[in-house]
Amino acid sequence: MAGKISNTPATYTPSPTSQNKKRPSIVTGSDWVRPDGRGLHQCRPAFLRTGAVNSASGSAYAEFGNTKVIVSVFGPRESKKAMMYSDIGRLNCNVSYTSFATPIRGQASDSKDLSSMLHKALEGAIILESFPKTTVDVFALVLESGGSDLPVVISCASLALSDAGIRLYDIVASVSMSCLGMNLVIDPVSEEESYQDGNLMITCMPSRNEVTQMTVTGEWSTPKIHEAMQICLDACTKLGMIMRSCLKEAVSAPEE
Amino acid sequence: MKVNKEETRGELVTPGEVLGKSAELKAGKGAYVSPHNKTVYASLTGFRTLTYPLPDSPDTRPTVDVIGHKAHGAVPEIGAIVIARVTKVMARMASADIMCVGPKSVREKFSGIIRQQDVRATEIDKVDMHSSFRPGDIVRALVLSLGDARAYHLSTAKNELGVVSAESAAGATMVPISWTEMQCPLTGQIEQRKVAKIGA
Repeated sequence: MAGKISNTPATYTPSPTSQNKKRPSIVTGSDWVRPDGRGLHQCRPAFLRTGAVNSASGSAYAEFGNTKVIVSVFGPRESKKAMMYSDIGRLNCNVSYTSFATPIRGQASDSKDLSSMLHKALEGAIILESFPKTTVDVFALVLESGGSDLPVVISCASLALSDAGIRLYDIVASVSMSCLGMNLVIDPVSEEESYQDGNLMITCMPSRNEVTQMTVTGEWSTPKIHEAMQICLDACTKLGMIMRSCLKEAVSAPEE
Repeated sequence: MKVNKEETRGELVTPGEVLGKSAELKAGKGAYVSPHNKTVYASLTGFRTLTYPLPDSPDTRPTVDVIGHKAHGAVPEIGAIVIARVTKVMARMASADIMCVGPKSVREKFSGIIRQQDVRATEIDKVDMHSSFRPGDIVRALVLSLGDARAYHLSTAKNELGVVSAESAAGATMVPISWTEMQCPLTGQIEQRKVAKIGA
């Protein structure tokens, strides 16, 4: 390497602890073995329940491995006085992390970002014309962040909206995929997300076969994106069936 | 599947499930038609019911409704009868908090106003708001329009609309004696209200 002339004073370099951990070579090499022993294209088992919060119009609790999320929906209720009149309903989303959600206390990863992404994912699926002048508030609380937080929040929010009786075009199911070197892993855990080269998240309406939101970050090649999208859409369809059966169980169970 | 008129509940459906083709079914409450593939989908979680039209109507398609299982979540709609409590009475209008829409109660109140010209059907320019409503009265009203950003516009301009229950100055629930007067059972005092005609 040609000699670097360092006459200029040393510039600031961040301290080693805040740099990314050195990725184990196994990631860039051949097959990645997942920490929880799943297959590369295997999602975590989902535990979904509606009606978790009594005081809300609708609510849902979702547990995907170590990622635990609770979403409450309030509304349709009166918009704040300051807001202008609108002949369609408004959606207001808020995602927050508890202080014990991450291994390091208080380290919430861009939750303001997640609120607007949740809004974009849900607004395509809600029939806003059915509640003019009013607002629906969606509050998501991440109790434990075990990776793939936003997809779990979105799927849980859609269950909560359906539990609240808000009219929807379809439920939304969301799955994300990580690119680790040559491997594509679905539904990554936090460790896999910290090593990832890129992330692709798809939110779709399974029964209508329409995508409401797709987020791609990092480096991807075109064939990889096609493959990842296909796998994610299949996973969304399966997750959609699980969500529907959860909704149906919630209605038929108390009647027994 | 043939279902009697609204009597038996059909199967449980979730939002986005296909209910039928729009050539065979009309979309009622809780369902919507997707124009690009002419299919009727459900928009709520609930039981699907079919209502057959009258034999002499031009459209022979039955209407499919999805009846939601939750009893709350009512939003005031135009033409709905609401129960509201009067909060403020001013010279030309009265403010009221809408508490029930039809038979369902709301979770959080909505604001409504009753304007002077909507209190009754006759002599609308001679209405005295203080002789029609007092703060604390429970009124049955009709939603005229969505109004502005602040409040729904309500009307009591029908016989069966108006004050349903009111407290007198002495604190007792008053008894209606005519469409303009109510009497306190404790003191015998007569107070003026726009009274709703309940019953036949």
